[in-house]
Amino acid sequence: MRTTDSSRAANSEQAREEDRELLRRYHKAGDTTAREELIERHLPLVRSLARRYAGRGEALEDIEQVGAIGLIKAIDRFELEREVSLATYATPNVVGEIKRHFRDKGWAIRVPRALQELNASMSGAIERLTGRLGRSPSIAEIAEELKTSPEEVLEAMEVGSAYSTVSLSAGPSGEEELDPLETIGDEDTGFERSEDRAALEPALERLAPREREILRMRFEEGLPQTQIAHRVGLSQMHVSRLIRKSLGIMREELLR
Amino acid sequence: MSERLERIDLEAPLSGDFQAVVRLIIGGIAERVDFAFEEIDDLQLAVERLLAETCAVDTVQLRFEVGERTVRTRVGPLSEQKVSEALENGERPPGELTLRRVLQTVVDSFAVDQSADGDVTVLLEKLKSSP
Repeated sequence: MRTTDSSRAANSEQAREEDRELLRRYHKAGDTTAREELIERHLPLVRSLARRYAGRGEALEDIEQVGAIGLIKAIDRFELEREVSLATYATPNVVGEIKRHFRDKGWAIRVPRALQELNASMSGAIERLTGRLGRSPSIAEIAEELKTSPEEVLEAMEVGSAYSTVSLSAGPSGEEELDPLETIGDEDTGFERSEDRAALEPALERLAPREREILRMRFEEGLPQTQIAHRVGLSQMHVSRLIRKSLGIMREELLR
Repeated sequence: MSERLERIDLEAPLSGDFQAVVRLIIGGIAERVDFAFEEIDDLQLAVERLLAETCAVDTVQLRFEVGERTVRTRVGPLSEQKVSEALENGERPPGELTLRRVLQTVVDSFAVDQSADGDVTVLLEKLKSSP
């Protein structure tokens, strides 16, 4: 047993040295084949970590791909002066990337893949139809566009509402990372206007500026979701989710 | 001659899972009137916020009256005090977002009704926009 343990340790030490050599080649000499080899060597680690998140409404191979992005980031960011092994450094990066993926997608409940895909394609269909028709499309029109039934569209809409209780975006404290979708689009100066105009109640202050601005546009200006979506550079479905989420957060704040 | 309205009654628990069912049913009903995606979302949001802010019981009754271009939704029983607080008259300062303001934005009209035995219900009306 002692022999096995020591041979494992030797193998592990050897692997660590090989990693360091590859990292040196990549970071010092820009050798991208060394980077590819590092990725290949650590994919089993990614697969192992991804398996922990299987069965939560995402295909395992998709989770593995997301985890691989975390691995690549870890390789790219690794500093040679670090005393830790690449595997140790990469693990939180991989797990973080996977968790972020789930948080951003927000699949809090197990949702059939077909419905997830339909939900994902609905956003584009709504945008196309809104542009073509000059108004918000009906469910029947969305169904026709996506070659499915109105019932399935309704179910997919509900899937979109099945977001986790984790905030979709950062609070002003910056404790959570911003929803990447929210960084799309031009900065709107409207929020500054509204902030200058009135002291916002504490419940509103808990929201990120863009969410406050979306609420202001919807409930003060009375703009329809389609126009808000256009202004902030998000899809109409995403605007809808943010409104719902923001009102829920405000309610929680008021009850505290 | 008044419009003939189809009536659908629903009694639902308010635990998290069933709120999704309520939303789905609202979507199905509104789809029959050919509401736009945004109008359905508005009606769902109105009911969701109304329940979140004024309902004090575990089970709620919803009555839908469906016309050619309208869905009327009666929701109750609700807390008299909470309804009064959330829907009271009077302008609020800018930046304050009340249930009243939310409902004014997302439905065409709403009204509070109190029965003889004291039960408070709120009636929401959403009309299909043209065409």
